[in-house]
Amino acid sequence: MNSPAQMSIRLLSTPLRFSGAHIFSALVVCAVLYSFGSPSANAQNRVSKRFPVGKNVRVELKNISGTITVESWNRDEIKITASLETPNANVYPKLMGECVSIDVMGDNRGRGDVGDVNFKIQVPQDSSVDIETRRGDITVSNIRGGLVRAHISTEGDIKLLDISATQVLAQNTIGDIHFDGGFSRGGTYQFQSTKGNISVRIPSDSAFRLVAAAPTKKIALGEFWHNGFKTLGDGRKFVGDVGDGRSSVMVTTFQGSITFIRR
Amino acid sequence: MNCEKCQELMGDLVDGGLSREDKSTLSLHLEECLACADVRNDLQSIVAFCRSHRGEYSAPPNAEGLWLRIRNVIEAEMQPASKASAARQQGKSFWSGLMSRSWELSMPQLAASAAAIVLVVSLGTTVGLRRWDNARGTGPVASSPRAEAATRVSDRMWQQQQAINYWNQRVETNKVRWNQGMRDTFDRNLKVIDQAVNDSLNELNRDPHDEVSEEMLNAALNEKLALLREFSDL
Repeated sequence: MNSPAQMSIRLLSTPLRFSGAHIFSALVVCAVLYSFGSPSANAQNRVSKRFPVGKNVRVELKNISGTITVESWNRDEIKITASLETPNANVYPKLMGECVSIDVMGDNRGRGDVGDVNFKIQVPQDSSVDIETRRGDITVSNIRGGLVRAHISTEGDIKLLDISATQVLAQNTIGDIHFDGGFSRGGTYQFQSTKGNISVRIPSDSAFRLVAAAPTKKIALGEFWHNGFKTLGDGRKFVGDVGDGRSSVMVTTFQGSITFIRR
Repeated sequence: MNCEKCQELMGDLVDGGLSREDKSTLSLHLEECLACADVRNDLQSIVAFCRSHRGEYSAPPNAEGLWLRIRNVIEAEMQPASKASAARQQGKSFWSGLMSRSWELSMPQLAASAAAIVLVVSLGTTVGLRRWDNARGTGPVASSPRAEAATRVSDRMWQQQQAINYWNQRVETNKVRWNQGMRDTFDRNLKVIDQAVNDSLNELNRDPHDEVSEEMLNAALNEKLALLREFSDL
């Protein structure tokens, strides 16, 4: 019988054999370990914060770049989750009275290059939402508050889904805008894109005064069209009332189409 | 009684030197005229003050010199007024002299005068009619509506351009701090807005009265301004 010392000497002297599969597996393991262990350019940090609030709260977000999703939930609190790409931006959500404010622009002024910040914000249904960003998509869904404002300085799509607010403003330069919701009596609704298609999906019994302008002449009012509409500029602009014109709707796109769809 | 007459008699009233008739007429006026009543009250209080303080103030060292200075000041103030009055008088006398003067003209002089009047009137009528036509925009030298509209648009463009230049300078200063992705995004979007501005301008060049294009131009320029302003903060 061999002693342990003799066995280890034999093992060391025995040539080791590896198959191609072994080597490949080892490389994959090494690569995965390396990617987790080293600081990569796309490393993300996460910031999460909750604020207990009342029913009629306002959320203000001024972002620089990144996607923003706002949705309602059945809690009297606001939850903000931000995932930060490097170089990490400063994100300091604040509660001031009945307003939760996140000012990424202000908190990073003068820093120049900061990475995208992607937000997911959950709010009570009756909240007002005021969002602006330099670039990135915005999605707001299921809000019944006084104001929904989505402003993208440059490019990004805006989706406003299941919205029933008194005032809705959506504006971008490049990107589509889609509104799906209802117009409140006396409310104002403005949708403007420089290069993007705008679609408005509303109930068939909606009553509003419409001013729609598109130099491309691609304005399709679907079943909301009637002969009482005034056509201006050879079909580049339509003005008219649908129903009793209780709310005011302005839709403008420079290089895109306008489509009204029955809900 | 009028105010002028009343104020003439006011001194005598205060001194107690008025006849009964004048006094009653003056009193009637003072009851109706608040301004004259105020003057009377002021005067009475000055006189009362002077009487009650008689002997308390010594006379100025050179009373005659003081009065002289006061008179000089009053005369100096009155001179321009009298000059203006004299000028008015002179003008009046020129016109009254002109109007009252009698003219004797020979037949050729009369004919020449009539011809001169006809010439002046016809010239005046021609010039007046031409100006009226110009004001209505139908005259030959009136600027065309197309030119006016173009000027209006170019004026607005110029004004907007000043603001755009200002914000553009600020953006250019900050741009170096942005990452390449943000710079590309900004340039791409600015190009899209410029395209919208140019499209509207081209339409306006084709038809300067196209209100839709004018609205679109305004909206595009405002959007450009907003984009620059927002990125000047970054």
